[in-house]
Amino acid sequence: MFLALREFKHAKVRYLLISLIMILIAWLVLFVSGLANGLSSDNASSIKTMKPEYLVLQKEADQRINRSALDDDLAADIREFTQRHDTESALLSIYMATLTKPGTSKKLDAAYFGIEVPGLLQPEITEGKMFTNESVDEIVVDQSIKNEGFSLGDRIIDETSGKKLKIIGFTKNQSFSHSPVIHMNMKTLLSVKNENTIHAIALKGDKNTAKQVEKNFSGIETVSKSQALKGIPGYQEEQGSLLMMIVFLFVIAAFVLAVFFYVITIQKINQFGVLKAIGAKTGYLAKNIIFQVMFLSSVSLLISIALTFTASFVLPDHFPFDLSPFLIVICSLLFLTVALLGSFLSLFKVAKVDAIDAIGRAV
Amino acid sequence: MMEHKLILDKVSKTFVDGEKRVSVIEDMTLKVNEGEFVAVVGPSGSGKSTFLSLAGALLAPTSGRTFVGGHELSQLSESGLNRIRLEKLGFVFQSSNLIPYLTVIDQLILVSELSGKEREDAKSKAKKMIKRLGLSHRINHYPEQLSGGERQRVAIARAWMNDPELILADEPTASLDSERGKEVVQMLADEVKLRGKAAVMVTHDQRMLDLCDRILYMEDGRFVKEKNQMNEAH
Ligand SMILES: Nc1ncnc2c1ncn2[C@@H]1O[C@H](COP(=O)(O)OP(=O)(O)OP(=O)(O)O)[C@@H](O)[C@H]1O
Ligand SMILES: [Mg+2]
Repeated sequence: MFLALREFKHAKVRYLLISLIMILIAWLVLFVSGLANGLSSDNASSIKTMKPEYLVLQKEADQRINRSALDDDLAADIREFTQRHDTESALLSIYMATLTKPGTSKKLDAAYFGIEVPGLLQPEITEGKMFTNESVDEIVVDQSIKNEGFSLGDRIIDETSGKKLKIIGFTKNQSFSHSPVIHMNMKTLLSVKNENTIHAIALKGDKNTAKQVEKNFSGIETVSKSQALKGIPGYQEEQGSLLMMIVFLFVIAAFVLAVFFYVITIQKINQFGVLKAIGAKTGYLAKNIIFQVMFLSSVSLLISIALTFTASFVLPDHFPFDLSPFLIVICSLLFLTVALLGSFLSLFKVAKVDAIDAIGRAV
Repeated sequence: MMEHKLILDKVSKTFVDGEKRVSVIEDMTLKVNEGEFVAVVGPSGSGKSTFLSLAGALLAPTSGRTFVGGHELSQLSESGLNRIRLEKLGFVFQSSNLIPYLTVIDQLILVSELSGKEREDAKSKAKKMIKRLGLSHRINHYPEQLSGGERQRVAIARAWMNDPELILADEPTASLDSERGKEVVQMLADEVKLRGKAAVMVTHDQRMLDLCDRILYMEDGRFVKEKNQMNEAH
């Protein structure tokens, strides 16, 4: 890459400026990707990270958990059916609720998850212990509730029923519709809400079992976890708009690079003519351009990855930002692909340059 | 046959410009021998640059055959022509046409780089060449830091870098004062004699002509007069 490196050295400012733009764009790409992922977890990590892959919902619910309601008899039949087919399943009731701390008027939103213990949907306890199917008014809550000043053994008041619930354990990363999740058994749920409609049945099985269940019962639909996620109020809108931003950023990155290298190439047409006249092949010149594009993009990417990590350390703890190595790799590969696409315009131009242009007639 | 570094055999070139056909070179025949330094003079628009482009495999003729170092150009593919330009031909353009971001030594090394030669060999060869052309103190300078004459000398050094059979120069002295110009042309003549190669130079400058072995006068795409002169180097 004889030419490419020497040109970098000679035109430092020019290439530093384009790198700076690329760094900012790549940084924004990574940041928004991390934000999208973080918000998705913040919104519904309870669904996102649960073990079962499929949910049985009411057919009329339009794939939305909060609209689904399964008849008790139907639920029992489905469970019996899955048991016969060696498939684990679990009942799930979800209610949104408002809570207060005894002695204060401060309010707090949460999602009640009515579950069976032991069962598929039982969350992992990070502190304290789990309730049993028989315990009364005992709950385990997401850690984020700690920040509101609650600790083990504290009581929390359900606003509609006025009932006091006792926190006996904490869980991690349990949220639904941007609210912390409070797990309780069906009995407790019935006592605070006066009902415990089964909203969904979680299935731990493959696509085939899911299909089987759907075929054998009418009025229901089995949906995958990702479909169910989309059905959570606001989830799709949130992710959709962030995804649109990311796509636009990629398009902008491609265009910025394409225009930059195109303008530079046009400026250098005469030079390329000279190079061809002294015997340089188009392939050789193309290799140098591709090297330049890839080198600038990779360096910009590395710097922006470092910047993103720095930023994520500076951000407050509860900020919904979550960037996994996997996501970084995906974003980086996409970024490099897009950069390569951006250089094609210039390559095309260089391929068309004729050695005769060196004579200087093409002024 | 083999002493002929360049042969043009009834070569014509016609440009199609819209509906008009402009015949720029007509039935041109020329042989350039080993060790010969040929000058081409003629009025502006007579086709000198076009002739040089044809000889240099930059332009394909409408009819006729061109041989460079024994290879017939019309028989070669695009990459074959590339190789001829790289290995058999050296160009010196009117404005020196150096690559702006390469230092003097890198301008020369580039030529070896293109033909895939060893970097260290190229370096020592380039250094020798630069020394011979009196540019040793400029070895790490960029073209923008050089005077016009120095640039032209670098261009000549670059043209010689791959040991070509034939140097083609289009008004190499146009941007130089007569003293510098003469120096540059003298260098070209010396190299031709020293290495047993050949050179064809297009020039407007009458004062350069006494350094050449043969002068061809061109008008309207033809050689109208030819003048051989004894040169002190013979
Ligand atoms: N690509 C082309 N298309 C059409 N006409 C051309 C083309 N190239 C050259 N010509 C014509 O051919 C003629 C000869 O051009 P050329 O450049 O060879 O002249 P020249 O002898 O080098 O002139 P000068 O001394 O001014 O450099 C000119 O009339 C020019 O207009
Ligand atoms: Mg000319």
